[in-house]
Parts: sequence; C-alpha cells; structure tokens
Amino acid sequence: MGKGRPFLEVFTCALSEDYWFPILELLVLLCALWTFFSAGLAGVSGSSSDFITVEAFTHNLIYSYTWPLIILVGIPILKNIAYGLGSDVEKGIIHTLFSYPLTRGYILTARLLSALVIPLLLFLGISIFGLFLFFPDIIVANPGTVFLTYAAQLSPVLLTAGLLLLVALRLKQGVPALLTGLTLCFVLFVIFNSIANSIAYGTGSDWSLRIYAVITPNLALQEYCLGTLGLSSQIWVPSFSEVLLYVLAGYLLVAVIFIIAYVYFKRWLRI
Amino acid sequence: MRWITLLGRTGTVLLMVGLALIVVWVPPAGSPHESSSSGSMSAEEYKIEDSGVYRSQTGFQISVESSESLRVYLLGLTSLELEDWRAQVREAYANLDDIWIKALTVPLIFVKEAYPDLEDPQIEDIMDIVWNVSVLDKGLQTHPEIVLWQSPPSSTLSHEFFPADVLTVTVIVANPSSHNVTVRTKIRDLATLAPKERVIVPAVLLISIGVALAIPWLISRKAKKSTL
Repeated sequence: MGKGRPFLEVFTCALSEDYWFPILELLVLLCALWTFFSAGLAGVSGSSSDFITVEAFTHNLIYSYTWPLIILVGIPILKNIAYGLGSDVEKGIIHTLFSYPLTRGYILTARLLSALVIPLLLFLGISIFGLFLFFPDIIVANPGTVFLTYAAQLSPVLLTAGLLLLVALRLKQGVPALLTGLTLCFVLFVIFNSIANSIAYGTGSDWSLRIYAVITPNLALQEYCLGTLGLSSQIWVPSFSEVLLYVLAGYLLVAVIFIIAYVYFKRWLRI
Repeated sequence: MRWITLLGRTGTVLLMVGLALIVVWVPPAGSPHESSSSGSMSAEEYKIEDSGVYRSQTGFQISVESSESLRVYLLGLTSLELEDWRAQVREAYANLDDIWIKALTVPLIFVKEAYPDLEDPQIEDIMDIVWNVSVLDKGLQTHPEIVLWQSPPSSTLSHEFFPADVLTVTVIVANPSSHNVTVRTKIRDLATLAPKERVIVPAVLLISIGVALAIPWLISRKAKKSTL
C-alpha cells in the first residue's frame, strides 16, 4: 500500500476534527462577505488620485481589505495548531496517528495541511477571486505588486504558525499552548510594533524598524509604496530591492522555524 | 468515503462563496437620487433628459410615460472621446462660448455631421436646428458606436442601465411623430456593490458546482447518522 491512502486518511481525520460542519462554511461565508462588500464599496467610492503611484494604490487596496481576513483566518490557525495539535499530544490521539504506515514527517504535514494550508488557501482563493471580480484591470496591470503584497502579508502569519507549532510541541497540552500562542501573537504584533515605532520616533534612527520589518515585511512594503506619505517617511523609506530582501528574510526565518519544528517532531518529541 | 467527504466540504465552501456573491449583488447601496420632469415635446424634436458620469457599479433607471410613441437613446462616451469631440466642436464653431460646447457637446457634433457647411454660426442659428430629430438621426448614423441602448418606439417604458466601464452617459428622448406630445420622465440613480454582469455567472457556477459536490456528502452523512 502506498502512502497516499493513509495520508488522505490522516488528513481527512484532521480536517473533520479542525473544522466541524458548518464552522468552515461559516468562516468562508464571513470571509467572502467581507471581501465582496469591502471591494464593492471601494469600487463605488474608491479613487486612485490620492496615491502617488499605481503601485501604492494597488498595495493599499489589497492591504485595506485583506488585513481583517488575515485576522479571520488567523483564528482557526491559532486554534488548530496551538490547541488542536497540543490536545492531540495531550490526549494521546497522536499515538493513533502514529499507527498509520506513515513517517512522522508525513503525519505532521497532513496535520498542517488541515490546520494551516486550508485557511491560507481560503484566504488567498477568496481575496484574489474578489480582486479579479471587482478590479480586473488593476490586477492584470500590476501582478508584481499584488504578488509582493500577498507575500509580505503572509510571512508574519506563517512565522506565527511556525512558532505556535513549536510551542504546542514543547508544551504538549492544548489550553496552555493556546494561551501561550495568544500571548505570543500579542507580543509579536502589538508590543514589538510599539517598541519598534517608539525607538524609531524617539531616536530618529531606522534600525528598530528594519529589525521589525524582518518579522513583518509588510511594514517595509508599505513604507516603500507610500513613500513620503508613509507614517515613518522622515525616518525610513526603503528601496524596492530592500523590500524584496525583507520579504526573503521573513520567509527564510519562517523556513528555519518550520525546519526546527519538523526535526523536533521527528526526532525529539517523546510521548 | 474520504474523497466524498473532501469533495463535499469543497462543495459547501464553493456554495458559501456563491451565496456571498448573491448577497452582495442584491442590496442596493446608498440612498438613490431621483429626478423627474414633465412637459410637452414639439413634433420631430428631441431633448437631452440627463447627462452624467456612470461606472459599472453606478447606473440609473429611466421611466418614460407619454401620450404618443417616443424613442429613448442612451449614448456613452469615454472621457477621452468626450474631450476629442469638444475639441472638434471648438474647431468647427469658434464663435461659440465654451459653456455651450461643454453642455451640448453631443448635439453640436450631430449638427456638425448634419450641416457640414455651416460656417461660423451664432448660438441662435444653432438652436434653431440642433434639436431636430433629423439631426439626431444623422448623428446616430455617423456614430452608431456611441449608442449603448435604444428603446423600441413606445409610450411607456422603464429601463435599468449600468455601463460596463466609466462613461459619460447622455439620455436622449426623441419625438419622431408629426405632432406635439406630453412626456413625463423619471430618472433614479442606482448603485450596486457588485456589477450584475460580473457577479451572476460566477455565482451561478459556484452554487451549481457547490451543490453538485455537496449533495453526495450530505446524503452519505444523513445515511451514516440514521444507521448510528
């Protein structure tokens, strides 16, 4: 027997456990309604004349209606990885999964497909479909900006998911992993953000913003697109190549964290 | 069974996206502005009922009631075409004030097509001829590409219109008969979050595929529940 059938079995088990019917459907409905309503309103009232470049308009358009979607899909990611995987280890469900003729790597992949990839696919599918439906000209004219905006927005989501995975595997318990995950998100995206901005405005130096841009490359992209209109334009306006470097650095960090999590799960996780 | 579950959940997801599209398409956004006019129209004359910039999400509904059959035309020009036409009118009728050229670009182009030999006319000369149906017919013959919609001859009509692109739309009501008619016109601005032509086909496709994929899963789910 190949690996396909047991992999599918583990994946569908994880899927049914992560998304009870009709939780997934309600999530999709909410995401789709938000996307179509906000894109429609932008279409009725939107004007590109406030922006210096078409790139800036495109970035702002995508960013303004996708960040609430990120929060919406972030909730199941947080719950599925931190609480779901933590509970699997805590309750011994992971033992049942290990009985399948699959390596630990495949089991973790099947689990992450359900917990992480499905919400991300929903986010990308719905928002890009909405963009094509409401702003086909903008998408066709600026595919590079669209790609870069999505890449920059997804990097912190993947980074958080990787860290949550490590936390869940280390704590081996659902509720503590969930609470630690929530704290981690707050520290990463609220406290670090405030500290980086305070240091930048206090000292007039851009190094804190540069460091924070590795965690959230969208900061660099936003400052680049908005140029002199950006919040920290007096302190830092990165070049396009710098933005690319920050996005790459962000994904490199994500890759390192996931590699550590996989290695930990395969070799060092004792149950 | 696993494949049925996977496809079924995919189907319910597609169904939800399709339903969201329908929900967005249905409610009109904002409070509609409405304008109405009534009066008589002379024989073989036409008039501009309304002119404005509309886009795929902002349109209007026009309703016309009259004592005789009338024709209604919706003419559309892009901003570039409009500027080009204004430049042509300025060149042809150098004596005319810019205010007339801006307000009556389309009829003045029609006069230019119908009377190419008219030299340096005053506004009074033009006003004598500009609203003749023959001028309109000549103009429409020369520029059929600007006709977005034309009604069949009718004494009552109602039509909803959303342009496919950003266009300056001119609403023209013409009385081709040989006697005066009384006309009552109502134009109501419409706004929708999602343009109908972009939304309906994807929504129907998503809902159809979604239902087709979800039904086997829902049936097997029900059967499984009843056996438990």
